[in-house]
Amino acid sequence: MIVLNEVRRATYLDSIVLMRLSRQVAALPGVVEAGLFIGTPANKEILRAAGILGREGEGADAGDLILALKAGDAAAAASALAQARRLIDRPEMAGAPAPPGALRTIRAAVEAMPDANLALISVPGHFAADEARKAMALGLHVMIFSDNVPLADEAALKCAGLAQNLMVMGPDCGTAIIAGVPLAFANVVPRGDIGIIGASGTGIQEVSCLIARAGRGISHAIGTGGRDLNPEIGAIATLMAIDALDADASTQHIVLISKPPADAIVRLVLERVGRSAKSFTVCFLGAADVAAPANARIAHTLKAAAASALGEPPPGPLPRAQGRQRRGWVRGLFGGGTFCAEAQLMFLDAGLAVASNVPVPGAVAVADGGHLMIDLGDDIYTRGRPHPMIDPAVRDAPLAEALADPAVAVVLIDVVLGLGAHPDPAGHLAGVLAGRKDCTRVVASVTGTDADPQRRADQVRKLAAAGVTVAESNADAAATAIAALAGSAERLASRP
Amino acid sequence: MSLGCEPCLAPGSVKREAPVIAILRAGALAGELVARGTTAHVAAVFARSLYLRAGETFLCVGEASIGDGPLTLIADGVIGDLGLRAHQGASISAHAIRIGNAVEFRLDRCKPWHSPGWPAAVPPARLIETSAALASRAAVAAPPEGLARFALSGAVAATPLARVAASPIARFHAWLDAALAQDCAPEVPLHGLIGLGPGLTPSGDDFLCGSLAMLDALAQRRLHAALAAAVAAAAPALTSPLSASLLRAAAAGHVGEHLHDAVAALLAGDVEAAIAAARQIGHSSGWDMLAGAATALRLISEPKIRRDS
Repeated sequence: MIVLNEVRRATYLDSIVLMRLSRQVAALPGVVEAGLFIGTPANKEILRAAGILGREGEGADAGDLILALKAGDAAAAASALAQARRLIDRPEMAGAPAPPGALRTIRAAVEAMPDANLALISVPGHFAADEARKAMALGLHVMIFSDNVPLADEAALKCAGLAQNLMVMGPDCGTAIIAGVPLAFANVVPRGDIGIIGASGTGIQEVSCLIARAGRGISHAIGTGGRDLNPEIGAIATLMAIDALDADASTQHIVLISKPPADAIVRLVLERVGRSAKSFTVCFLGAADVAAPANARIAHTLKAAAASALGEPPPGPLPRAQGRQRRGWVRGLFGGGTFCAEAQLMFLDAGLAVASNVPVPGAVAVADGGHLMIDLGDDIYTRGRPHPMIDPAVRDAPLAEALADPAVAVVLIDVVLGLGAHPDPAGHLAGVLAGRKDCTRVVASVTGTDADPQRRADQVRKLAAAGVTVAESNADAAATAIAALAGSAERLASRP
Repeated sequence: MSLGCEPCLAPGSVKREAPVIAILRAGALAGELVARGTTAHVAAVFARSLYLRAGETFLCVGEASIGDGPLTLIADGVIGDLGLRAHQGASISAHAIRIGNAVEFRLDRCKPWHSPGWPAAVPPARLIETSAALASRAAVAAPPEGLARFALSGAVAATPLARVAASPIARFHAWLDAALAQDCAPEVPLHGLIGLGPGLTPSGDDFLCGSLAMLDALAQRRLHAALAAAVAAAAPALTSPLSASLLRAAAAGHVGEHLHDAVAALLAGDVEAAIAAARQIGHSSGWDMLAGAATALRLISEPKIRRDS
């Protein structure tokens, strides 16, 4: 074994960057153990106890950064150290400033790119409305990725946008595909004739990927932000998006995705849908008894919405169990809030009580015991740390807890691929599950396409190799979990 | 390589194109430093903030989303795209902070920020319940890279950090127990805890910041003074200069907005609010501060329960 240390004098890196670098260095080929610590006496004790403190590290001061690694041989150690240096030197990893020449203002960006007609705003929520106003003053549509923007600001921005005929997508708009260009968290899907309008980012991703995997394509996918159908906003962005897709010659069918809005908003939106010459699929997840106009079909799940857009019949009844039946509860650990909602609806449809930290109508707030669906993208899990779609380690501890709980029979998870997402979420999950028995009780869906940077087929293969049961969609994963429960056959038989 | 300081620019020599950003609020200690005026250099640049080093004191200039703090200046603008780099020289005066030709932070509109007073605590029995509930949440929700999971839940020391931390934390418990039982506090055993752990501010330092805040909040003057004196004396040799600067502030009774909110929530018995506030602080630092605060809370509340019963 070879131990190598490198000391960076008076170097301060952000804690999250240090943590990520530490993991990346430890995962380099040939590295047995690695650590990245400031050189305090107490930290040297950790490195000494791990057998990776060398002479250089011993000489570090408390304000220095020590990179310490142990590798199987000298060549592997030298190669790993060289790669580790490159990782530490990558300015974007340290959250360092943009390189010289980068544009600092929206005005400068417009001067550099005068044909631009859309600005993507991703700044702390406190500043997002001001930046959006600057962009709109320059005649740009805006997509506001930022969250924590006050509702009153959203209403004011959207009213101003309506007056100027500028679309305000968001705030908290995480996904869009405009004229084939994916924005923020989106998947690489072919161009086609189906348009999507969604208040939910992961909802847009799931439907667009299911359509792409069926061989069709997307004209535009327009995110509206999760609150657009609130009465205070009045569906301004949704209605403008319908106008836009209605007038778009490349769009033949339009899919609408949202949580159930208030009755008045439902009427407002469906009245506009009814005036269109195009066909629609309306998926108000969890809404009951929506009276659709003649040119629209109602879908109750994201999978059903994709099937409807493809002109296929609605999905059939829940499948019967394929493997052995299990006694216990289902624990869902979701990065996508819409997936968490869809799974709850599937359980309620199957006559099963379900709880969640973000309950849909009919579900209950988190309680001890019972089927439990957790949205790990909820603010309480993501404040001060990355979203689970960026850093899948957010799920590690809840997953370990669920697998260690004898009352949990099945664990449901979502793996979301695409631009902006983690480069290898399945690989990370497989690492977490390595050495554990009975991983078939982990049921996963993989949202993505083979054109995504992570390549869906590779991700599915990694999960299957780890023993995970992989379903075709999130709805299928929930159905698989339900079917795996002891007594499901009787319960399904008793359902109307 | 040392942190060299470039020649600082004289007032008025900033090029016209350098952006001017207003400072909205200054923490108590930051305000004192800028009022005195000094020279400094950029020690670190992050996505939402930068650190200026002036002697042994570090000033943080950050966007509003990072929260107020005793050594923090809140800027009315975006920090991350200013093109700043470590070692650039800076001049600090009561009117402005100038960093080379890169940026001028104006202090004309700056208002002072002080952490608010501590709220009254719920009864000791509720405080014990709160500590227990926090320990349960820490067992699954605290980041495995920090100390909180091990220190709060009593979990097996499963990580190298936890194994090394086990003894110093046990010694800290023993000190607090003994100090509570005696009129004069025994010597505080900080060796092995201060400067321990990963991150910009080591976990052990965060733990001590949390403990100091809770001792202050519970008006444990004697214990706070003993711990504060020990921390201030030990920090320069045992932890990084940046973390030592923050520890000295905590020892002087100054805590940041998010730590204040977390401790206040614990005193109110609201575990989820405490966790939410702690998560604003950083990946593991907030949880480690919570661990220190909750440790002090439990050890102080338990004897009260015993006395009452």
